[in-house]
Amino acid sequence: MKVSGTHTFPAPRERVWSFLIDPYRLARCIPGCDKLETIGENEYTGEVNVGLAAVKGQYKGKVKLEEIRPPEHYKMLVDGKGKQGFIKGSGTVDLEEQNGATLLRYSGDAQIGGPLASVGQRMIDGATRTMTAQFFTAMEAEIAAAPGEVARQGILLNLWRSLVKGIRERLARVFGGKATAR
Amino acid sequence: MIPAEFDYSAPTSLDEALALLGRQEDAKLLAGGHSLLPALKLRLASTPHLIDLGRVPGLTEIREDGGVIAIGAMATHHSIETSELLSRRCPLLTQCAAWIGDLQVRNRGTIGGSLAHADPGADYPAAVLALEGEIVARSATGTRTIAAEAFFVDMLTTTLEPGEILTEVRVQPFPAKTGSSYRKEPQPASGFAIVGVAVAVTLDGGRCSKVRIGVTGAASKAWRAKAAEEVLQGNAPEDAAIAAAAQQTTEGIEMNGDIFASAEYRAHLVRVYARRALREAADRARSA
Repeated sequence: MKVSGTHTFPAPRERVWSFLIDPYRLARCIPGCDKLETIGENEYTGEVNVGLAAVKGQYKGKVKLEEIRPPEHYKMLVDGKGKQGFIKGSGTVDLEEQNGATLLRYSGDAQIGGPLASVGQRMIDGATRTMTAQFFTAMEAEIAAAPGEVARQGILLNLWRSLVKGIRERLARVFGGKATAR
Repeated sequence: MIPAEFDYSAPTSLDEALALLGRQEDAKLLAGGHSLLPALKLRLASTPHLIDLGRVPGLTEIREDGGVIAIGAMATHHSIETSELLSRRCPLLTQCAAWIGDLQVRNRGTIGGSLAHADPGADYPAAVLALEGEIVARSATGTRTIAAEAFFVDMLTTTLEPGEILTEVRVQPFPAKTGSSYRKEPQPASGFAIVGVAVAVTLDGGRCSKVRIGVTGAASKAWRAKAAEEVLQGNAPEDAAIAAAAQQTTEGIEMNGDIFASAEYRAHLVRVYARRALREAADRARSA
């Protein structure tokens, strides 16, 4: 299966790039991603729970980044496996500056096999498109929310934020005031 | 081909079914089982609890009620295909049902199951959209009616809530001088629509007073081809107008492709089948 497309982000290229090389922030935007861990230089393992409606499955896999040229290009190698099938493929991501906005181009080729591919073949195209759209929507929100410098602490910052929010809401509930997070 | 373990219930009333559905998250409803059971057997899907609607009374009826035709969710494709009431009052549904799978599938599969599953290759969504039908859903807290156009969200995804059961499909009977047609390219192995086009045309003094086009199979969900409908609205359904309308059926829609039919080929097929269905529906309207 071949995938390709573009997406424009209303953010400077460095900011989009810093997102794309941050596994913690990526993990938050990948639909159904439960885990993404660094296992080596530019090498990660992850777990995703993906699917539509009742047809859902757990997949484990490895992601490796190559040909890294900040802040404009990398190549991604993906190798994943689940009970319902496997995926193996590679793709490239290119960032182009466009008057303060960033154009992201992606293109890749993947082999999908197993029961999912043989029975669900006709749905893979649409499911891929739905999940790509979900990812870009989440990514846009994520990039807009945190500036580049705090990206590294993204996960801690988020934990802190939700903690503060939770405490505020609880206090508000107790005292009957209005909760305003952030 | 053996599914993972699940509990099985066969409630004998709708209230009992709703109560069971509310008790366990991820419980699944079993209607005809011609999509769900293969998915369970292949372990593409799993559920802790299967609730069989087969013994719930009153869900298989097809009746006319106060000027509306109500089709029970558990009515099989075969009972719709052979319904005397539908062939007389709303033949688009019988034409559509005749194209589904094979006789074995039509004997077991149900309209409610097909709509709730929202397979992108299912046939009924095109017809129900072209008929501007309504979907009735019951929950523990009440009944709600959903317009067909608001019902389909994405592939395998509808606006049905987890605690709801689709109980009925409602369509208007055909007015005078109305004709319909369903044209389909089935996937040779599965019978699912690579594309399927459902059309209903109403004529008034030789001109189209109402045109409705529903398309399935080609994209992630079925859609109403409104741009195409507008081309014919108020015009005589002549070949040139029909061809111009058919060209608009894929307007603004992102097609899906697979190894059997690319996205470009599907778009082409939609336009060709729309032309044929429009021509046939117009001919039938003239002689109606």
